Amino acid sequence: MIPFTRHLKLSVILLCGLTLRAHAAQAPQRIDIKELSKTVEDVVVPLPNEIFGALNKLGAVNWKAHVRTDKGTTFTERPRIALLLGTVIADGFVAVQAEDAPTVKEIGQRVLALAKGIGVGNSITPHAKAIIEAADKRNWEGVRQELDRTQNSVQQAMNEVHDEKLSQLVSLGGWLRGTEVLTSVVKEHFSPDGAELLHQPDLLSYFQTRLQAMPEFKLPIIRQIEDALIEVKPLIDVGNGRIPAESVKKVNEITTRLGHGIVTRD
Amino acid sequence: MNGFAKAFFRGGGLLAAVVMLQPVVSASVDDAQSFALQAAEPYVKEGFQVREDYWGGDLASGQKKAVRQQLFKGNEYWFWLGTEVDRAKVSVHIYDSDGKLAEDPDGWEKGHFAAAHVTPKTTGSYFIIVSVEESPEERTHWALVYGFR
Repeated sequence: MIPFTRHLKLSVILLCGLTLRAHAAQAPQRIDIKELSKTVEDVVVPLPNEIFGALNKLGAVNWKAHVRTDKGTTFTERPRIALLLGTVIADGFVAVQAEDAPTVKEIGQRVLALAKGIGVGNSITPHAKAIIEAADKRNWEGVRQELDRTQNSVQQAMNEVHDEKLSQLVSLGGWLRGTEVLTSVVKEHFSPDGAELLHQPDLLSYFQTRLQAMPEFKLPIIRQIEDALIEVKPLIDVGNGRIPAESVKKVNEITTRLGHGIVTRD
Repeated sequence: MNGFAKAFFRGGGLLAAVVMLQPVVSASVDDAQSFALQAAEPYVKEGFQVREDYWGGDLASGQKKAVRQQLFKGNEYWFWLGTEVDRAKVSVHIYDSDGKLAEDPDGWEKGHFAAAHVTPKTTGSYFIIVSVEESPEERTHWALVYGFR
């Protein structure tokens, strides 16, 4: 015999099950996000061109003004190379926006040299070649795709040899450079919609968590970035509020300072 | 009881089972990724840039997982879910940071492929919920790719 409580439980389950079946084909209109994990882990970090694409829709951007010609110092410390590699790939996306073929080709070579510096040159050689070829043909979509493939291949190669932390630094370098350019563009022609593109608090928390897990990297630049992210967090984590021009300016100052630190020796 | 209800009661709610995922490197997830990319193919002709990076894993029938993704207002996104298991049924849906369904109505589910479309009203974090609704396999590999324009 089924005890009453169990019978009741089964009935409730059956009833709910039938109700859910009726709606199974349709997604619920609302879910309880408090039940979701609060930790942002292993996210797919957006590429700079994802943000640049959104910026382009807000009005014409003089991308040529944001192309960086400084090739940066040569480092021997792998974490520094990883950070620099991320920023150089981001610079590649800026150069594509500017349709600057010579710079794209230089970046292709630079990416290859940096990838060799951290021991993943082999997986990058075909991409670097493809970047240069696509730039020669002014096939900008092809260059974009190869830059994405480059970053993905670098990170996969690092993950395969359990260098996940370096892989995360590549993403971080790219995100910082992307944010520097974003804030630079929005600062020049402020609009609330442009500033809203900075609303990335979970992504910032993700990088903060990752940096906290890198105590072995005792390089000043890593700690400077960690401190800077603490400064940036309240400026972009505004909930449903708007990000003011002053905050955009401040984030630009911080990311520009970091960008300079990434490409130059301590 | 259907798979959705099973997962709901077994796990103390589908959302309790939600975890963030890392790209998985295994032959089967790679196969699933090939199917997800196959679903994405027609959209490339419409100007969508499909990311090389992706999420993947395996789920039992009726199980769901969520990934959090930063989306930017002004862009338009498609998320494509695929599995190599022919007779599996999968779904993908997009919610905003308040837990409200945020996707456009033209998402679709066709057996072992599914897709969801969103034109974000605000820039911020979104939750992509993937599910294996039905499958003849005990565990079903899946992969999720996305594209934007």
